[in-house]
Amino acid sequence: MSPLEGLRIALGSLVANPLRSFLTLLGIIIGIAAIIAVVSVINGLNVYVADRISNLGPGVFVVDRFGVISNREAMIRALRRNKKLVMADAELLRERALLADAVATEVHARDDLTVRGETVRRVDIGGISANVLEIEPYDVDGGRIFTESEVERAVPVAFIGADIADSLYPRIDPLGRELRVGNRTFTITGVAKKRGSVFGFSRDNFVKIPITLHRRIYGARNSINISVKVADPARMQDAMDEARLILRGRHHLKYDEDDDFGILSSEGLNELWENLTKIIFRVAVFVVGVSLVVGGIVVMNIMLVSVIERRREIGLRKAVGARSRDIRLQFLIESVVLTCAGGAIGISAAWLLAWAIRSWSPLPADFPLWAPVVAFLICGTIGVFFGLNPAAKAARLDPIEALRSEG
Amino acid sequence: MSPAADGAPVILIEDLWRTYSMAAGLEVHALQGVSLAIRRNEYVAIVGPSGSGKSTLMNLIGCLDTPTRGRYVLNGRVVSELDDDELAQIRNLEIGFIFQTFNLLPRATALHNVELPLIYSRMPRDERRDRAREALAAVDLLDRLQHRPNELSGGQRQRVAIARALVTRPSLLLADEPTGNLDSAVSAEILQLFERLHQAGNTILLITHDRDIARNAQRVVALRDGRIESDVVKQDLPAVARP
Repeated sequence: MSPLEGLRIALGSLVANPLRSFLTLLGIIIGIAAIIAVVSVINGLNVYVADRISNLGPGVFVVDRFGVISNREAMIRALRRNKKLVMADAELLRERALLADAVATEVHARDDLTVRGETVRRVDIGGISANVLEIEPYDVDGGRIFTESEVERAVPVAFIGADIADSLYPRIDPLGRELRVGNRTFTITGVAKKRGSVFGFSRDNFVKIPITLHRRIYGARNSINISVKVADPARMQDAMDEARLILRGRHHLKYDEDDDFGILSSEGLNELWENLTKIIFRVAVFVVGVSLVVGGIVVMNIMLVSVIERRREIGLRKAVGARSRDIRLQFLIESVVLTCAGGAIGISAAWLLAWAIRSWSPLPADFPLWAPVVAFLICGTIGVFFGLNPAAKAARLDPIEALRSEG
Repeated sequence: MSPAADGAPVILIEDLWRTYSMAAGLEVHALQGVSLAIRRNEYVAIVGPSGSGKSTLMNLIGCLDTPTRGRYVLNGRVVSELDDDELAQIRNLEIGFIFQTFNLLPRATALHNVELPLIYSRMPRDERRDRAREALAAVDLLDRLQHRPNELSGGQRQRVAIARALVTRPSLLLADEPTGNLDSAVSAEILQLFERLHQAGNTILLITHDRDIARNAQRVVALRDGRIESDVVKQDLPAVARP
């Protein structure tokens, strides 16, 4: 018997019992849909992270008060221990860090904006040093970021994000116009190019002002972030160690004490992200693996039932000339067709799910093209593995007994 | 298809034994030294009460089982020495089974049911179709090609089964109580069809417990307790279907 013939028989019996087939395959459908959905989300996030989050660029690291904290205890400890970073920390790095090319500072606060009576509440007001541009490239859509001397003299100038420009200056060029931040008036010197959103949060909803003025308005209580550009990206690690030593010295930490600040780099963030996705992926593979094995066992059971139900058919096929191996092949193909049909439904479900996630949630989901191929391979393997026993049982049936049986 | 010339036996059975080993070392001798020769184009009925060994003999002749002892030559091949795959091939090529319960595939059309044996002989699809149509024409069912068994009457179902048996142009039609599930009018119709197939040159072996049915055959072999009790050839009596 040709495999094609077996395929036709298998499809026939699959379609003959659509509800039973569907219920049989539910485990496999859910398993496949789940794993592909998870892979799609991770895949989408990977692109996202590479594209939007770890955009520090190579050879840049950031010193901040907390660094990356992954659990609550560490957060509580860090809140107690970690000192706020102040301008003097940045000054010291600028002075002492020989491997650093540029040291920029940034600090954040929230305040209301007012333009001609219209107010936007609680906007991110960033105080930056002029050289932030060298480190975190803000593409300028129009105008400019302020100069070193404007920062030094604390001139009230502002560089605004695209969302602010769109909502407060809908049909006019905001350059040179006035903007009230809190109760002070600033002159707009530049507008940033649109940067899009991450996880549903707009990244264009900001106003940047000179950090000197920021400290004066919002006080020196807010911890600052220090961005460091390394002169030689190949010596990134050395530069980070150097900065760490300088700050530890300034904070009077003993040799056995932990850092009371955090250092982030693009590599570090990527590594963190990779570890995180690896864990998610492993958990998903485990859960889905269990569901697929259960699904496979269900398929095996239904195949065993099918062998018993169709004993007469098997007997007849043998009587008219089917060899044992023809029967075995037929039932193996049937089992593989069954599991692959489950896989196909699961893949479709995952594709819909990925589409829904992309459309209705801030999470990105990118359906990887290799996923269906792998899914079919997995389903085929499950089909063969769990079909072997029923197929062998069918092939072993004695035609005389089989023909004599009820049904 | 047959190397045997007319007159040479299609079936040659010599001293055939079939012994079943039961639990506790008990042995049941279902056949005890049966010898039988059936020539081409004979129409033979094997009769006997249940337990006489006729089912065992049919399984052996049908190559579904192998004898414990003795020799069975089918169309020149010594069947008693073949392995399972070779037996499957012999069944496919040499024997057309007709069962009491028809044994059609319920989801398949009449045409597909008839095609089934040809699938296992790896015949190309188009040729298969033609041969199946031809066989269905021989049983007057050309207008039922696409019907499924549940859309057919009992007599029609049995005719589909007969077409399936004919489709490989076998050396032997082996019918096991073919009218057992049919009422007497339809039985007569089927027996007439057998007569027609016999006239057309087929070799038919009819197994039944009913001597009235057996009377339709040319020759009646009676079994009892695993041995041949009588073997009567009715040369002078024309075979007539019962009303």
